[in-house]
Amino acid sequence: MPTQRTAVSSQLAEVADPWPAHGGEPETAILCVEELRKNALSNSRDASRAGDAAIGIRGVSKSFGDDGDDGRLPALQAIDLEIRRNEFVCLLGPSGCGKSTLLNIIGGLLKPSTGEVFVNGRRVVGPLPRDIAFVFQEDTLLPWYTIAQNMHVALEFQGVPREERPERVRAALEAVGMSEFARYYPHQLSVGMKQRIAMSRGLSLQTDIVLMDEPFAALDEQTRMVLGEDLSGLLEQTHKTIVFVTHSLAEAVFLSDRIFVFTARPARLKSIVTVDEPHPRRPDFMTSDKFNGLRNRLYGLLREEIREAVRQNV
Amino acid sequence: MSVLTGKRSWLRTALASPAIGRLGVIAAGLLIWEGLARTVLDPEFVSPPTRILQALVTRTLADPTVLRAIGTTFWELLLAFALAVLAGTAVGVLVGAGERISRTAYPLVLMLYAVPQVTVLPLFVMFFGLGPASKVAFGFTHGIFPIMVNVIAGMRDVSPLFLRSARSMGASRMQVLRHVVLPHLVPSFFAGMRLSVAMTLLGVILAELYASIDGVGYFAHLYSESFDPAPLYALIVVLALMAVLLNELARRAELRFTWRRR
Repeated sequence: MPTQRTAVSSQLAEVADPWPAHGGEPETAILCVEELRKNALSNSRDASRAGDAAIGIRGVSKSFGDDGDDGRLPALQAIDLEIRRNEFVCLLGPSGCGKSTLLNIIGGLLKPSTGEVFVNGRRVVGPLPRDIAFVFQEDTLLPWYTIAQNMHVALEFQGVPREERPERVRAALEAVGMSEFARYYPHQLSVGMKQRIAMSRGLSLQTDIVLMDEPFAALDEQTRMVLGEDLSGLLEQTHKTIVFVTHSLAEAVFLSDRIFVFTARPARLKSIVTVDEPHPRRPDFMTSDKFNGLRNRLYGLLREEIREAVRQNV
Repeated sequence: MSVLTGKRSWLRTALASPAIGRLGVIAAGLLIWEGLARTVLDPEFVSPPTRILQALVTRTLADPTVLRAIGTTFWELLLAFALAVLAGTAVGVLVGAGERISRTAYPLVLMLYAVPQVTVLPLFVMFFGLGPASKVAFGFTHGIFPIMVNVIAGMRDVSPLFLRSARSMGASRMQVLRHVVLPHLVPSFFAGMRLSVAMTLLGVILAELYASIDGVGYFAHLYSESFDPAPLYALIVVLALMAVLLNELARRAELRFTWRRR
């Protein structure tokens, strides 16, 4: 819808500083930003804003393209939400609505046009390898390294001391039952196995938070179900906060404690659906009335948004 | 079709093998050459293969001055090639590292690559003299381009997903270079290296042919001026062997360093 888009872009163009410093300390703000970029994290805590949430998102908007550009594409609009510790949260919306953009902003890989993100009470200004691990949609295992070497390199990137790495790699592979494939190269494994490794690599980084960007999208439905169960089981042991992007309704209901439902582009938060069911979840949950009720409710919420998204993409 | 004719004869099987076929083509070519050279072609321009072989053994390999010239050319080639690989890789990685610098410099590199360098060959001789220095320099400027172009192109198509993933795990620039970019470059680097062997040889020989007091090019010039084709062709055989040798070295290195894709 072109009229809506122009309105949004002019509104966003008025924002002078798209990456404002941490509020409330104007005299140190400039110094801080430089400092923060170095450390990737602000040291100042702001309990009133961030609370005890693992992730706090405050008025985050994001547009792609330059100010005043006709091709400027608003992706996210004034998102406010909070994700609690040890919570499994799904970001659900029609394809292309900006869910992955929000995930990348949370992880510090993208800067929001306006607004701020707090992780463990501190403002995000860059990647946070100590706090956040990513699992991407496509397999990001390096093809020139074996599975074990891939895990090893991930720990090296994160700054884990050399002597601790072999044991951590071993434990991580064991946790997903993949120890025997340690010396295999990624191309020797099926897509499902690779994604299982990528998942365990994400969990092995020992961060509080794991961000998963449609990790099962490339898999067939059966593999997807098995990995979903595995994930639900792994969560019980690891106590992590997980943010999971998906456009699968069933996946969202099966895995989540809460589901954030987004509108078509530009994404706004439409509704929050709570799934009150303990982890680890069993396959029979999927056939329960509760599951189907929630799934139908999600579909009701998403129906027009999906139609809108389809119209946008024509 | 074995279904129709039953068993294949051994002759058919032999002819179907690419190695045998290749040897057959070479043998046929040599035979035709021998025949033509002995009958219709001017012996001042073309020698038959048998006479070339004879010249190779009795004149080229038996003459210490020619042998020394072959050695000179070989060292010039080796030095120019080594410098081209080192400098080409370094410049390629630096230029390919940044989006802006690569967008600025890559077209310039491609433009320079397209310019026939023979036009500035006299300048090389002026700057570096008649000795080996001008040959190494001219071989170097020929050999560096395939490496540079391939390395830059390789750096530009590193999967953004790998970069994003590495960045999210906190990888430093050096770590990204070492674990993501350089391994990704290996195939295009070796493709460039094999092209570079041929280009470096071209540069060295061109410079020797143009103005020199030593080297294979000097003798090639001498033989062709005196209408003595047999040793000239023998020298070409020697040059071909040098190129094959270096190419084989590059191929061996490639096999050793390439990660297995499938």
